[in-house]
Amino acid sequence: MQRILNALLQFKNTVLYLFLLLLSLLFIYNQSPFHGFSLEKYGFYFSSKLFSTSKNISAYFNLKDVNKKLTEENEQLKNFELKENDILLYPEALNQKKRFPFRVVKAHVIKNSFQNQRNFLILDVGEKDGIQPEMGVISANGILGIVHSVSENYANVISILHQDLKVNVRTTSSPAFGSLLWSGQSPTEFHIEDVVSNAKIAIGDTVITGGMSSYFPLGIPLGKITQLKKNEGSGYYAIDLSLFSDPSQVYNAYVIENKDFKELQSLLKKLPQ
Amino acid sequence: MKPSYFISFLLLVLLQVVLFNHLHLFGAINPMLYLLFFVFYRFESDQTLLIAFSFLLGFSVDFLSQTGGAHTIATLTTGFLRPLLIRNAFGITVETPQSFFSDSRILNKVFFLILLVFVHHLLYFILAYFSWESLILILKNTFLTLIFSLLLMGVTLSFYPSKK
Repeated sequence: MQRILNALLQFKNTVLYLFLLLLSLLFIYNQSPFHGFSLEKYGFYFSSKLFSTSKNISAYFNLKDVNKKLTEENEQLKNFELKENDILLYPEALNQKKRFPFRVVKAHVIKNSFQNQRNFLILDVGEKDGIQPEMGVISANGILGIVHSVSENYANVISILHQDLKVNVRTTSSPAFGSLLWSGQSPTEFHIEDVVSNAKIAIGDTVITGGMSSYFPLGIPLGKITQLKKNEGSGYYAIDLSLFSDPSQVYNAYVIENKDFKELQSLLKKLPQ
Repeated sequence: MKPSYFISFLLLVLLQVVLFNHLHLFGAINPMLYLLFFVFYRFESDQTLLIAFSFLLGFSVDFLSQTGGAHTIATLTTGFLRPLLIRNAFGITVETPQSFFSDSRILNKVFFLILLVFVHHLLYFILAYFSWESLILILKNTFLTLIFSLLLMGVTLSFYPSKK
């Protein structure tokens, strides 16, 4: 306290000057509207600078929240997108009340691999979030795999980079369907099998999910055809495909729940084997 | 504290407000005689008191002539800076005078007056116009008013004996 007083006494002239200066600034501010306006302008300039700086800082710390909100929004948009894919292929269905049994749950990939011949992913959602085995998993630009097993908080996913996983696909131009299957080398190079050779397919056609499996809805874009060979002996095409996005470099994922899955399964069981 | 300070204070304020603020030489020039207070106030006297005095001086002029607050700030700042101006004008030697009148060096005295009036007028006109667009106008007014203020102060000071 003594020190503060000493300092104050030492700089008493300056302190007094600044105090009186402040007083006269207040005086000028109140007396003259022009000066008041000008001072307000400067004050506004400084406060806006200060405000924008503090806003930038707080925005940085809010990024996590913003991200969360954006992914939630993406989840909703993904729902709409999946529905829309369907409508675009069959525009005549637009005015009809069509059943769309799929629902999207957002998730993050927390473990991924592509070096093996049979790869698996782990997602940070589980039973708690309503995830069940045999649900489809997609990313923003393609499909990632199918849920294999779930624990309370995590889900184990058979990656699309798995040699035994086959996904039903077709092209946008032709309804002929085939099976997508990983070639086992680059994570974006895939084969399509079992497409009958009389289907109208060309190199560069966009490949989408076929909607014949109960895992994925119709119309999720996957990739483009890079090579096309007609295999005369078997009557099927041999198609090479390059994916739009690398499934080994994905963080945000969406699990697709098919509400009709059990219904479809029970129906399939009734078929004579 | 001498009563002569009060007398000169009152006299200068009254002269300024009643007479010189209505002079309008060549249209707009009002010489500011009340700066003589910084000359009358002895160099050796208390600086803190001078700051208080200069605030009151500027405030009185502002208040009585209904101007914004430009006189107050300019005068207050000039009072605050006066020791610096004295050092610049008279030098930091043993010869630093005790008051303006105890020094006999004309050149230093004139330089001190110029510094004093220049600082005050520059601040005053900056505050009066308060925009950088009128910088030329500020400088022009500063120099013209400076000339007349100095003339007036010189004439007034010539009535005083140089040695006290």
